[in-house]
Amino acid sequence: MIYLNMIFTFFKIGLFSFGGGYAILAMIQQEVVLKNAWITEAEFVEIVAISQMTPGPIAINAATFIGYKRAGIGGSLLCTLGVILPSILIMFVITMSYLKLKKLAWFKQIFKRLRLLSVGLIAAGLLMILGHAVKDWYSVGIFACCFLATWIFKLSPFTMLIIAAIFGMVFGIV
Amino acid sequence: MLFKIFLTFFKIGAFTIGGGYAMIPMIKREICERHGWISEEEFWDGLAAAQSCPGSIAVNISIYSGYHVRGKTGMLVAVLGTILPSTLAILAIAMLFQRYAEAELVRKAFTALKPAVVALIAVPLIQMAQKSGLNLKNAWFPLSIAVLVGLVHITPVYLILITILYAIWEKRK
Repeated sequence: MIYLNMIFTFFKIGLFSFGGGYAILAMIQQEVVLKNAWITEAEFVEIVAISQMTPGPIAINAATFIGYKRAGIGGSLLCTLGVILPSILIMFVITMSYLKLKKLAWFKQIFKRLRLLSVGLIAAGLLMILGHAVKDWYSVGIFACCFLATWIFKLSPFTMLIIAAIFGMVFGIV
Repeated sequence: MLFKIFLTFFKIGAFTIGGGYAMIPMIKREICERHGWISEEEFWDGLAAAQSCPGSIAVNISIYSGYHVRGKTGMLVAVLGTILPSTLAILAIAMLFQRYAEAELVRKAFTALKPAVVALIAVPLIQMAQKSGLNLKNAWFPLSIAVLVGLVHITPVYLILITILYAIWEKRK
């Protein structure tokens, strides 16, 4: 039963993941942390960090990781399949009809509106982990440095996270 | 041919570290310039579709190009190639993580990784906001979405459906 519920949940996540990886964080968190309690808030933030240090999109990585944690290798493969299935189905249809569709005014308008929506969704994802991830001067300082390093100095997320991990290993207090 | 498709997308999947947008130049080089599977114009059309459809850009563009090169089989092989590297990597990490999650060094690393992740989301948020045509008049929309989803915990599903229906209604003729 947990398998079925997991596939269905990740299918839903895949189906509504408009606007790329970050916009989907809030949705994943609502589904797997708040609604089903498959993982804790702390584990969720850890998965996001791990996802960004390994290849592949966040939604798929989260599906693989959570699937494994709750139901072993079989679970991880099923969740991964669940999350990419909507993409396959929808992209398949779009691939065959995109040239026709893109001339339609209402089709263009949908994506114009969805772009603005995903800004809101990314902000929602940020709000949801903020309280958990930034709570003292140590974490505020790290946030500020990482933000400036990526925003101003264009450090890649991968490099930034590796540096943060090493910094934490040396200066972190558990 | 199928093997070549698989290998190309495996390579693309293996190097997509840190999110979809960083890999667009690499995908283009591989499938347009190196293999000549699709033309540049087809690529930009595919990219626009890939960005607008649900799911990750990398997976969506692999579906698009795989289908163009070799029909449905090509499409499935391309998807498999794209997701296999990350699935294997995450599976290995998940296995190790369960064993070492409580190790002191891992705990310490995460004290800094957690705030770093917040920064990681804040930067694309600003970049997205700049590209989305955000202005003072429409800022209420993303702001209310952020509050409704992030604080009130309303599922994005309904908000996405309402947005789609509203966009269609706007252009009804």
